Amino acid sequence: MTTPLSNTAATRRGALALGLGAATAGAGFRRARAQQNPAEVKVAVLAPMSGPWARQGILARLGAEMAVDDINSSGGIRALGGAKMKLVIYDAGENPERAKNAAQRMVAQEPDLVGGSGAWLSSFTLAVTEVTERAEIPWLTLSYADSITERGFRYVFQCSPTSSAQARQTLPEVLALAERATGRRPRRLGMIADNTAAPQGIVKPIREGEAQKHGLTIVVDETFTPPLSDATPLIQRVRSARPDFLLLLSTAVPDDKLLVEKLNEFGLGQGRLPTIGNGGHWGAPELAQVTNPRILEGMMFTLSNWPGKGLEELNRRFVARTGEPWLGHDSLLPYADMMILREAMERAGSADRRKVAEAIRSLDIRNEGPALYFPSRHLKFDQRGRLVDAVMVTCQWRGGVPQVVSPETIATAQALWPRS
Amino acid sequence: MEWEILLENVLNALAAGITIGCIYGLMCVGLSLIFGIMRVVNFAQGDLLMLGAYAAFYLVAAWGVLAFLGPEFGPFVGAVLAGPIVFASGWVLHRWIVSRVSGLRTAASLDEGHYGQLIVTLGIALILQNGGLILFGSMPRAVRTPLSSSAWMVETGIGDATIFLNKARVISGLVAILAVAALYWLLERTRLGKALRAAADNPTAATYMGIDVDRAHRVAFALGSGITAVAGGLVATYLSFTPFMGLDFVVIMYAGVVLGGMGSLLGAFWGGLTIGFVQQISALFLPPQLQNAAIFVVFLLIVTLRPQGLFGRSAERA
Repeated sequence: MTTPLSNTAATRRGALALGLGAATAGAGFRRARAQQNPAEVKVAVLAPMSGPWARQGILARLGAEMAVDDINSSGGIRALGGAKMKLVIYDAGENPERAKNAAQRMVAQEPDLVGGSGAWLSSFTLAVTEVTERAEIPWLTLSYADSITERGFRYVFQCSPTSSAQARQTLPEVLALAERATGRRPRRLGMIADNTAAPQGIVKPIREGEAQKHGLTIVVDETFTPPLSDATPLIQRVRSARPDFLLLLSTAVPDDKLLVEKLNEFGLGQGRLPTIGNGGHWGAPELAQVTNPRILEGMMFTLSNWPGKGLEELNRRFVARTGEPWLGHDSLLPYADMMILREAMERAGSADRRKVAEAIRSLDIRNEGPALYFPSRHLKFDQRGRLVDAVMVTCQWRGGVPQVVSPETIATAQALWPRS
Repeated sequence: MEWEILLENVLNALAAGITIGCIYGLMCVGLSLIFGIMRVVNFAQGDLLMLGAYAAFYLVAAWGVLAFLGPEFGPFVGAVLAGPIVFASGWVLHRWIVSRVSGLRTAASLDEGHYGQLIVTLGIALILQNGGLILFGSMPRAVRTPLSSSAWMVETGIGDATIFLNKARVISGLVAILAVAALYWLLERTRLGKALRAAADNPTAATYMGIDVDRAHRVAFALGSGITAVAGGLVATYLSFTPFMGLDFVVIMYAGVVLGGMGSLLGAFWGGLTIGFVQQISALFLPPQLQNAAIFVVFLLIVTLRPQGLFGRSAERA
């Protein structure tokens, strides 16, 4: 009696196991197929959408949204059967701790995230990438700090020249511009920088040898804590020391306004003292709105990217779409990041984040695709995830609009340098 | 030559310190009024300053209501008009929120309502900051005037040493002094002022004398808000701002009020002036990044040597 019963039970158990196995295999196959050809692929922008840097986060979102719409309207990711790209936005808030919390939330809530971009401020990016690296999410960033790609991480890709590279490139670039325009090489350098990571990353190598290497004497070297309440003591020292040119390494529009207005008040503005800023905020539309554009005339700034020659159509579409006066650094780089993620997915033929990261590592594109959004027109990352051939762009305020004056390949105007 | 440069540096630091100090003084007076009369520690004071800056911005630039006054006068008239607008906001805030945790209602409680006040004013600050972000956006704003980037140049007669008097700040400083003088007159010479002082000195006795203490507190809160808003409007003529600007000023305000003597109106003004002065003069011999550290060194010195503040005893209570 027991044997048939056992046999029957065994048969039932076997049938059940077989059924469950088939169902699991079916589900697994469907999941594999879904991963192979998903209906949509998720990418993220994690940037400050609230707090003092909200404006920069919003500009990043605008750039990324435009890229995603462009990708989807041109057929999505073809290698994934035309899968649409879906952008998810996370707010990095106002300090690195909040940025890290946002990254943890993002990783938990978006298990199918393929890649992302952010988080604007270097200190935020350092915190965020601690989380994204563990989750093996390919992460693209415009942040400058060298330390972002000095930690041996494999999933972080820095799309700007690092701070130390900027320090090395800025002086020869500025000196060459001055020599081309005046036939004379400046000798006396003034520097005013705030005490945040990016400007200090630039002034430190200049102090420690770059200035001397280029035959420059540093006659003003001041550091301030942002935000400034008044720029009188800083500009008074510039007036007393009379440098041949001045590096203004601030990080926020309110400080930029105070500094340029004080320069003008002391008779050093509007190009009378050649002044070079650094960073996207020097070309932000709001700078022309909070101060008189006339006093910005002739002001130069260096940064990692700016839409010059060849990107006029992109700029026009961005302006028409967003109502912003122009496409700047903070929107262009997130736009480029989305295009890089698309290119990587096309090459990987997969939405698997590890394969996408591997595809980004093996990119080596010149003069086409996402490479067109970089001043060198070359897209390749080195072992550490740093952009190879990362070229600095120099812009100059001309007629109330920033114009690219260097490198010549993308320049839209000739640099003006006072002859006195 | 070195002597001329030093002289010019000192004179320009003095000029900047006094003009900025007057504006700091005005914002400190607003806070002191609220604390002196109501004994409410208002953490939202910086955000009322922000409302003042935005009120001036909308009057002058965005809506252009005062555009007919031109970019030289319009911004300063806008700053003054920001006062009544934020006065009304302060009135509403007190009527519906702050009065629940202050005044006679909490006089008998063990903590005199201070815990509630801290939480409520901190909550108001957060709502104003993030509400401001939704309403006004994240783009930095400024009330643009050509005066903020130009100066009256005064030759000293000693070599090339020149004093640069920033036009926007000089006018702002004068407006601040006039506003404090008007407030002082209101408190000292009018019936309303007497009622406010009586409500500050002894709310219970004031009630017996027929003074509506709750109303007096409402007027004080609204006045303190309005005065700080005028300072916000003046700051907006030379600084750009976002909804989070209050955070940068609230510490200065509290330092100024404590420095001058808690509850002393004129003391608060002198406290603010001292902060502006120390901030600028310290930059002559210290690295500029230690400007704010210098303020707190002076602050600690005064609090240690004279705990009642500079004018804690000598000046009359608000």
